[in-house]
Amino acid sequence: MRVARVVVARLLEAALVVLLLATAVFLALRILPGDPAALVLGDQASEAERAALRGKLHLDEPLWLQYVRFVRGLVTLDLGESVRRPGTAALDRVLDAVGPTASLATLAVFLGAAVGVSAAVLGAGPWLGERRRWVDRIATAIAATPLLAFAPILTFALAARLRVVPLPGDPDAGVAGLLFASGLLAVPLAAHVARVSRAALDDVARAQFLAVARAKGGSHARALWLHALPASVGPIVTVVGTQLGALLGGAVVLERLFERRGLGTLILEAYASRDLPVLEAAVVFSGALFVAAQQLAAAVHAAVDPRVRR
Amino acid sequence: MTARSHPLGAKLGPALRVLPLVVVLGVSAVVAASARSPVILEPELSWAPPSADRPLGSGEGGVDLLALVAHASLRAIVLAVCVALAGFVVGCPLGAAAALRRGRLERAVVRACDLVQAFPTFLLALVVLSAVRSPSRVHLGIVFALTAWAPFARLALAQTRVLRDQAFVEAARAIGVGPARVVVRHLVPNLLGVVAVQLGGSAAAVVVSEAALSFVGFGARDGVSLGAVLDQGVSAMLRAPHVLVVGACAVFVTSVSLMVAGRVFDRGFARAPRRN
Repeated sequence: MRVARVVVARLLEAALVVLLLATAVFLALRILPGDPAALVLGDQASEAERAALRGKLHLDEPLWLQYVRFVRGLVTLDLGESVRRPGTAALDRVLDAVGPTASLATLAVFLGAAVGVSAAVLGAGPWLGERRRWVDRIATAIAATPLLAFAPILTFALAARLRVVPLPGDPDAGVAGLLFASGLLAVPLAAHVARVSRAALDDVARAQFLAVARAKGGSHARALWLHALPASVGPIVTVVGTQLGALLGGAVVLERLFERRGLGTLILEAYASRDLPVLEAAVVFSGALFVAAQQLAAAVHAAVDPRVRR
Repeated sequence: MTARSHPLGAKLGPALRVLPLVVVLGVSAVVAASARSPVILEPELSWAPPSADRPLGSGEGGVDLLALVAHASLRAIVLAVCVALAGFVVGCPLGAAAALRRGRLERAVVRACDLVQAFPTFLLALVVLSAVRSPSRVHLGIVFALTAWAPFARLALAQTRVLRDQAFVEAARAIGVGPARVVVRHLVPNLLGVVAVQLGGSAAAVVVSEAALSFVGFGARDGVSLGAVLDQGVSAMLRAPHVLVVGACAVFVTSVSLMVAGRVFDRGFARAPRRN
């Protein structure tokens, strides 16, 4: 019963966020100065052409009616046709682009979490001696370095000079290209995860159950991986959740850098060609994906840590 | 916020932390004031490597990279400082007032901060910018300011929770000082030290976001942006690698100098709480 109430509350909240974002998109494209039809067709279009497009996009109706139509479209997943590619539903183009972005971001999350947690365990254990502190320092330095600064440089060094990864825009990049791109995307995430998990491991370092685990004859590694990490998984999941927004922005930058197909490229293309239905659909859909991922992070947190279930 | 968790600039004296920003600003201002132009093109110098006349080389169409980077950094820093200050001015009193009122308002502000802070700013920027024909820096500033208040509000809220039960707040309320005046005169001055540290981080984030937006094609139409330099560098990665290196270093130096400068407010300020 309580579980059901929590689930319903979470779903309602997620739906509310998506609706807010969708409303913002809707209003931004209609209320802000400038005739959308003129933006789509350019200055040369005749008044008749503009009127025809306004009719097609229902821009000639009163705002509340447009909004009702828009929300109904959201619920029935029918957000209209692409202006630039007549005959293609906007949602189809979006669904087409989701796959590459989702695999890029998912791989980056797992890579980042794995590398970050391993670095934190390395920094918490006794293996490095005094050099342990370098783990924290390197993580802090990487966390302060913007992806935008190091991704192009690394790409230049590894792809153009050393030729160990495919060049940007290489259509045969395949798995190697995906791995390299998600590896780059994972770097800042790994640094954040490493810092947070180091702090979390420090918090439980003096706990009695760790001393018991060591007293039973377990190794340092066993105590850290099997006993300390599960107790500090909450902050780690939370930091991944708060980094999702940055991850999405990074994915857009990397898709542009590597000329990969994906949600980011689709949004940029729809923006450049003023394809309003596709732009609306892509933004709302990315927002929905993002909210879903965040709620998933919260659910995982609640599942592994009984203290957050209230 | 101990020195250990932030080795960056921790060894510098507080005043020295502004040094990187001052150097960046000074060099940029000197170059920007000189006769070099970030928009005049000299096609015969396209993608020319660094030379005595042009220390950073030339970019697409023979643009002087030194001038372009200097102008772009200056504009990015001005934008970032404005946005960070706007976030500070809105977020700090909001967080303090919410914590003082407690109850429903406090919970609502916490939730709003959660939402805004985890929200992909990039999507929001795309939404707002897609509505204007040619984005200007003012539009970019508005977009960033939409989310910039949240970290300040969160910090102010957390700090006010500590302060709200202290005697000086109670005393002020007991002698009939109104809530607005308590926030502005008694709480905000005591929050400054803790909350101001966020200024540097927020400003650095704005610099990076601005560069990222113009890198993917959403930048200000004048094209004078660090992201535009990176964009040129990526497109000519094999022919003229110096452009890429210049762009990446400029983004790094500008954002890190702001971040380090923000740590001026760390300690010192926070150690001596004002009781008024």
